Amino acid sequence: MAFLIRTIDYTAAGREIVRERTVAEDRIGVGRAAENAIHLPDLAVEQNHVTITAIGPDALKVEAVGTLGFGLNGRTTQAETIDPREGAEIELGSALLAIAREPDGTVSITIRQAESREGKGDALAAFQLASALPSKRAMSWTFAGAILVLLLSVPIVTHLTRTPVENDPESDMPGQVVFDAAWSSGELSMAHHDLENNCEACHATPFVSVQDATCLTCHEELGDHAKMPRLAAGMPPLSQGDAIQWRIAETLGKEGPLGCVSCHSEHEGPVRLEAASEQFCADCHGDLDTRLTDTRLGNAHDFGKKHPQFRPTFYTRLGADKPMRVSLEREPVERSGLKFPHDVHMDRQGGAARMALSLPEYGAPLECADCHEEGPEGIGFQEVEMEDACESCHSLVFARTASGFRSLRHGDLDDFREDMASLSRSPRPQLGGRRQRPGEFARGGAYYSDFGRPVRGLISVNNALQEGGVCAECHIRTTTGGRPDLVPVNLPDRFLMHGFFSHKAHEDEKCTDCHEAATSKAATDLLIPDLESCQDCHKGASAVKTSEIVPSSCAMCHGYHTPTMPWKPEDHPDLPEMPKDNIAARLGVVRK
Amino acid sequence: MATKATNRYRLDEKRRDADHVSFLKHRNWRWLKLALLLSVVAGLGYALIDQQPRPNGGSWYGYTLGTVGLVLIVWLSLLGVRKRYITTGNWSLKAWTSAHVWLGLSLIVIGTLHTGFQVGWNVHTLAYALMLLVIFTGIYGVYAYATLPKSLSSNRGEMTRAQMLESLTAIDRQLDAAAQPLGRSESDLVIAALEQDVFHGGAWGRLTGSYPRCATARAIRRMPDNASGDAGQALERVNALLARRSEQLAQIRRHLRIRAALEIWLFIHIPATIALIAALLAHVVSVFYYW
Repeated sequence: MAFLIRTIDYTAAGREIVRERTVAEDRIGVGRAAENAIHLPDLAVEQNHVTITAIGPDALKVEAVGTLGFGLNGRTTQAETIDPREGAEIELGSALLAIAREPDGTVSITIRQAESREGKGDALAAFQLASALPSKRAMSWTFAGAILVLLLSVPIVTHLTRTPVENDPESDMPGQVVFDAAWSSGELSMAHHDLENNCEACHATPFVSVQDATCLTCHEELGDHAKMPRLAAGMPPLSQGDAIQWRIAETLGKEGPLGCVSCHSEHEGPVRLEAASEQFCADCHGDLDTRLTDTRLGNAHDFGKKHPQFRPTFYTRLGADKPMRVSLEREPVERSGLKFPHDVHMDRQGGAARMALSLPEYGAPLECADCHEEGPEGIGFQEVEMEDACESCHSLVFARTASGFRSLRHGDLDDFREDMASLSRSPRPQLGGRRQRPGEFARGGAYYSDFGRPVRGLISVNNALQEGGVCAECHIRTTTGGRPDLVPVNLPDRFLMHGFFSHKAHEDEKCTDCHEAATSKAATDLLIPDLESCQDCHKGASAVKTSEIVPSSCAMCHGYHTPTMPWKPEDHPDLPEMPKDNIAARLGVVRK
Repeated sequence: MATKATNRYRLDEKRRDADHVSFLKHRNWRWLKLALLLSVVAGLGYALIDQQPRPNGGSWYGYTLGTVGLVLIVWLSLLGVRKRYITTGNWSLKAWTSAHVWLGLSLIVIGTLHTGFQVGWNVHTLAYALMLLVIFTGIYGVYAYATLPKSLSSNRGEMTRAQMLESLTAIDRQLDAAAQPLGRSESDLVIAALEQDVFHGGAWGRLTGSYPRCATARAIRRMPDNASGDAGQALERVNALLARRSEQLAQIRRHLRIRAALEIWLFIHIPATIALIAALLAHVVSVFYYW
């Protein structure tokens, strides 16, 4: 076996010098000692470092002589068998011995000096991920800078440099501040949806919370619940946490727990403001008299358990200028100036019923609705018009004319006197023909209208206004300036002014279920149902709903800003309520 | 004197023991307990305190949680400064790191309750999302540091990184010599393989271990299996060397992959932390600017 040993050196000019020699041995030594077939003058190499032995046609055994190993294909090893056809590279000190097989079958060992390892450190650094990614510092500055510029500086600068405009609820002008949509913590309520892109409409001054005055630029028509000092005095003490928060907040310019925004919290999504809870009202009204000692309002915290008796507003004296608000506890008497026994009219067997049956426009005994017509809101009733509601029976006809009958004008005594004065002096015609009516319908009976003797108009006027005269049938007589007169009629079309009652919502009930009209013998009976009759069905918000019991929170009848009716603008859309299925809402339920 | 020496020995022994306890278990899980206590108290407060009109960052409890969260975040991020000064004792870096991990985890509870579960496309939720990103990359980091170094060293075998590269260089030199008799197209394949940067493929390649543009793999695929005469012998050698090169590359790439998995979290954790601090600043300022 022969080894072809090829040594490659370089001249100073870089030219390659190749020397070849053949060693015809099966085993050659490599080392610093001169007797080795391959002599490497390198102090890093042992005297006798490695032996290379041919152990077959295609196998060379490479062994370290001493304990110091050698590099083979980049790894350090002590002994290895290599196949010259595949080749290998032995590294000893600074020398590289490339082993290969020549085309003629001899094994060649090419010796060259390893190139200097410049840049090795750089190559190792490339193992770090940092070499394949932008630096952490650069990324940090980029992200932080982008956030601070786009999401903080741009909105602040454009807010400070904008031209303030006055709020106009009719316009949906977008705001001038750029990128402040990113500051919005949630969608606005439906009512304020048009302001979604106009943050500065409400957030007018930097670091100053939304002010009541700003709300009032659009909501100027909305009423106060009470005057601010009284509201503040009536409020229960805050919890410690709330008190601390408000103390800090007020120091920083927030308007306190009675400002608009403390209830009307925005950015809760496209929902409408929920009606205040019973607890919200009861916080103050449950024991209001302990803080507002001069209040005329009774304490209330739960309609089923604690609510003051109703105090309807009506006329307590005949011909009074102003109505009075009196509690039903005092069994008040109404002085409307009318005589009107409901029972007579509502008796289904009585004369009124029979008369109604005989008249084509009724054809049936009288119903409440024949005289009382609901108001447009379903809360109160329209004024009862004598001509529409009464005249079919209580006829005002006083003369026959060529074209038919002539009726008295109702409502003003001067008109009445004028009509009567114009009455012809001829005898009064027999309206009912020749036959006399029987019983109560006969002359002198309750249903006989006596205008007096028509031949003398003025006497007729007096007679009509006399006891037993046609006017006095329903009206109460009086004297004004020595002349006979009638007490003016004071009949409110709404009695409960500080809460709203919807007749529409009670359509399934009969009127007489609540109003004791069928047994009322006189118009002085105030037919407003009392608290207890409402409480038959309506209990507080915490009551369990059944077919008879309606849990009723304060908001069913009372509004905060508009006590007399639910506040509802004309174009008020139906809005979704606050979500009830999120985690916060569920926890709230559990807590309660 | 003797007593003192004994005490000194005991103290040193205690310190030596402590040196081998994981920072997670530091002082018998002290910071885990504290973080759990903090989370439970925050949760109970959220459930029991009636916040009107609904719980969110604007109620007094929300402000409280927000302040606690802000202070925690700022303090946690100061680990980056603190870690550059290694000390022992009560405020050792180990204690600090333990607190960093456990209190950082409790921020999930505190931050989430601070939001009142209200999220949207805004700077407030951006801060919350960045906070979660930082926390979850941190969790991954603890996991990576606990498990990956073992596989890194088992992959290395006996070799250092420099040896891996040298081995490749040795193979390349032989490949260059062996390929001399090859024709043009085969030579080009070898040249492409030799010229390609060992570390090509970028961060994505490192993380996934997928190198679809690997020239060595392509050379192996396209190199003819055999040819006649001298060229046939050379081809055989070249194929064998290419296979060796591919193996060596695979080891290097496994190393790169484990190393990338070990380091990637910091490339998110740190920039996201700084971005989080910026977003927090924007969050706090914007909330009070548009109060």
